[in-house]
Amino acid sequence: MIDMERFGQFREGIKGLGSMAVPSTLSDDEKIAKAKQVFFRKIDSNMAIGLESCIHCGHCASACHFHEGTGDAKYTPIRKLELLKRFYRRELSPMRWLHRLYTRDVTTQDLMQWQELVYDSCTECGRCSQICPMGINIAAGVNVMREAMADAQMIPDELAAVEQEQCQGTLFGFGHDQFIEAVDAFRGQGLDIPLDKDKADILLLTTVVDITLFTDAFISTVKVMNNLGVNWTLRSCNFEAANFGLLSGYEALQKQASDGIIKEAISIGAKIVITPECGHAYPALRWDGANEYGQPLPFDVLAISEFLGQQVNAGNLKLKPLGKDKKFTMHDPCKIARHGGVIDEPRAVINALGVDFIETESSGENNWCCGGGAGVFLINRASDLREKAFSIKINQVNDTGADTVVMSCGSCRLNFISGADNANWNKNIESLVVLVAENLAD
Amino acid sequence: MSELIKNKDQLEANSGNEETLSQSLLKQGISRRTFMKFCTTVTSAMALAPASAILMAETLAQTRRQSVIWLSFQECTGCTESLTRSHKPTIESLIFDFISLDYHHTLQAAAGHAAEEARETAMKDNWGKYILIVDGSIPTKDDGVYSTIAGITNLSMLEEVSKGAAAIVSVGTCAAFGGLPKADPNPTGAKSVSEIIKGKPIINIPGCPPIPVVITGVLAHVLTFGIPDLDDKGRPKAFYGESIHDRCYRRPFYDQGLFAKGFDDEGARKGWCLYEVGCKGPVTHNACATTKWNNGTSFPIQAGHGCIGCSEPDFWDKGGFYKSLPQGQWGSAEGIAAAAVAGAAIGIGAAAMAKSHQKTSGEESS
Amino acid sequence: MSLLDFARGPAMQWSLIILVVGVTWRLFGALLLMKKKDLSKAKVESTTGASISTVFNRFWPKPQFAAQMSITLLLAYTMHIGLFVVVFLFSPHITLITDMTGLSWSGLSGGVVMFFGAITLASMIALLIRRLTSPVLKMISTPGDYISWLITALPVLTGLMAHAHFGGPYETVLAIHMLTVELLFIWFPFSKLMHAFLFIPSRAKLGAVFGRRGVKI
Repeated sequence: MIDMERFGQFREGIKGLGSMAVPSTLSDDEKIAKAKQVFFRKIDSNMAIGLESCIHCGHCASACHFHEGTGDAKYTPIRKLELLKRFYRRELSPMRWLHRLYTRDVTTQDLMQWQELVYDSCTECGRCSQICPMGINIAAGVNVMREAMADAQMIPDELAAVEQEQCQGTLFGFGHDQFIEAVDAFRGQGLDIPLDKDKADILLLTTVVDITLFTDAFISTVKVMNNLGVNWTLRSCNFEAANFGLLSGYEALQKQASDGIIKEAISIGAKIVITPECGHAYPALRWDGANEYGQPLPFDVLAISEFLGQQVNAGNLKLKPLGKDKKFTMHDPCKIARHGGVIDEPRAVINALGVDFIETESSGENNWCCGGGAGVFLINRASDLREKAFSIKINQVNDTGADTVVMSCGSCRLNFISGADNANWNKNIESLVVLVAENLAD
Repeated sequence: MSELIKNKDQLEANSGNEETLSQSLLKQGISRRTFMKFCTTVTSAMALAPASAILMAETLAQTRRQSVIWLSFQECTGCTESLTRSHKPTIESLIFDFISLDYHHTLQAAAGHAAEEARETAMKDNWGKYILIVDGSIPTKDDGVYSTIAGITNLSMLEEVSKGAAAIVSVGTCAAFGGLPKADPNPTGAKSVSEIIKGKPIINIPGCPPIPVVITGVLAHVLTFGIPDLDDKGRPKAFYGESIHDRCYRRPFYDQGLFAKGFDDEGARKGWCLYEVGCKGPVTHNACATTKWNNGTSFPIQAGHGCIGCSEPDFWDKGGFYKSLPQGQWGSAEGIAAAAVAGAAIGIGAAAMAKSHQKTSGEESS
Repeated sequence: MSLLDFARGPAMQWSLIILVVGVTWRLFGALLLMKKKDLSKAKVESTTGASISTVFNRFWPKPQFAAQMSITLLLAYTMHIGLFVVVFLFSPHITLITDMTGLSWSGLSGGVVMFFGAITLASMIALLIRRLTSPVLKMISTPGDYISWLITALPVLTGLMAHAHFGGPYETVLAIHMLTVELLFIWFPFSKLMHAFLFIPSRAKLGAVFGRRGVKI
């Protein structure tokens, strides 16, 4: 259960986020030059083959929740890479000398026009790549576009504001000191929270959203970790799993944030780092972490749902069955399932809960995106777009006949609660770790 | 054209004490009935209306002997052999005898200067009215010295005799298109009649050799009705309008994809299509598949050998009689392999340049 | 040299060379761009299996997507299978390929190939109508799409015409058919028709990226 008043305040707070961004100081020429620098650095052989391979079949549109929710052809996923295609053709493709004759150069105006396509209407969910007959990795291309826009200081204001703040060391006003205060407050409620141990097997990460809004998830995670009797700790520096460098595309921040966590984990000799119920936090560390850091990581990275599933399978985590009369379905977060490979473990947990589990028609790696990830939830002008996209989720969940939809991602949870509120949709929206903590068999 | 005998009225206006064709035939013991049969055969072979047979018979019967000069140039005499080599006297050869063949190297009695004089006399007496038949190609290199008659080059003789001809008939592929002498490397500079003579009606009767009845049928048509409808290569459509392929009795095998792969395999023995062993039927126009040879006995495909395309220009230089139509003209495997290596090299170079460009341009300036 | 001799000879030779040079150039040039080493720990031992299986399983959409794609799938497969039949199962074409490569196989009868040619053309027309009317396709289509359509349709059309002896003297129509094929060869490496080769590395790479993460795509 969450505090709905707090939730309302959070949503209100987002409305004013944009005004907190420091505006860009770059000229148009500098912007496009910076963007092109990123393009040069980031287009590798995989991306090149992808950009060469599009046959204009248009099927990516039917896999995309933004296109399907609105029916507007401008949201066709491959279109998002149009500027990247043009740049690649002119500068790096094998036949660039020919392409230069008839392919227009990319301009700052083009980038401005594309901002909506690569931020507002793309959550980098990757579902388009599932349908593409040529197997083009569109989401990866969109990330390169974001990285270029970020260096060109063309991130949408709300995301820019948050990114700029995280560079300074806090997020939504939360930093090291506020974290210690919050932990003290939770301890005051009777929660046993190991903090800043010098050595531990497991480093647990959390998010400011979990500490302040989805406190049930935070508390539940602590309870479950204690129940399992593992040697774990939180750290007051680099506690934050959310990486607005990755979300905004500002790579310097992405590296800064993930390097911080990695050094923390190394310093305590952690064997495992667990990311909380947060979507992009998992791939940020699990897949990008080592590459940003420059070396393989000396520890494993697990999502909390992954960890819980493993513990259930190993017999360490025993749960009380809720009963087969309870109809549950699951929403697989894009970054955990499709991009993370964590699909079976959360199901092991739900099955251990002994409910009547019904899969959605597109589930696992084929699941529809909730529409709020990749920072899109923070973009105010996109709220109408998100609502239209979310209607697909509503139908998908309704079609299962389930009363409850479970997810293990705070971003999805935010979007679900918000979307349900907007659409007057009555469905139990549950966090996986909360369910586990509430039903420990001791 | 108008000099030619075109209809009965003009015929009767012609003076002369030479006997008519029907008188000549009667002397030889050929009845009018047999003669009618010939005319019917020829007109039906040319797909003319049934009434034409009667008109042809009546017209030819009254025909006075048409002066014909036959010039043989760079040839093998096969065309004449085709027409005249027969085991029994045929109607074709008799018709041929009737035409006043005023000059023909193989068939004439005269020789030497007497022969040339006969030619010159015929030309003078029938100036503007004689039909010129040519077989053999005309060498043109080095002022045409490679074939001469009585010291006169073929080239200049052709040019001179054409001047007074009412029409020219190029018999055989050599005269019609250049034939064998023209084959690569064409050392004599051989050319066809129509490459040299302009401004005269020219009928091409190609073939190596042409079918006998095709020759006489065209001549009979010329005498009766004038020049027949010609295709884009100057060949009478009546005999050359269809390709061998479209009239070949083995066509059903082609359509079903049943091909002989060699000359003694199962397909060959079963009489399957000869496309894969080099038959040029699809691109050859002639009457072989319908009219056939030796009074309708057979033709090459029926005997088990693919058509060599002998009534088409440059048939000697089309890759080979045993290479099927699509084969052998597209270059070489080595060339393609070289192209692949070249392309790969360019691609590797392009990628290397791109990568180094990426390194320098991707560096942050800060 | 007649038009047919030109089409069979130098035109075929040079268009093939351009085709081969262009295809190898474009493939090598894109495949050999920089490769990023991935230092993260893979969830699988090797991604080769995932790469290969993605190349093949993408020939048919997953059940979740099949319903939306069904009509296009039908039309596109009719076209591709039709093209395969008319190009590779027609005896005169096989004879040419045998001459070029030494490989040979038997073909189908002319009537059957004509049928496939006709349905290929019909499906291509339907796909063109789709491209001209669908909002998504109108937004992402470029002149290259329409040129590729025309350059692919012309050989099919002229091939049918040549086989049916329709539209002019046979040798001329045949020569035009060959010239349209040679135009296709020349256009091929510079256009989206390269997908005939690109689908392999493109799908394989996606399969590897996701396979590495333990995700079957």
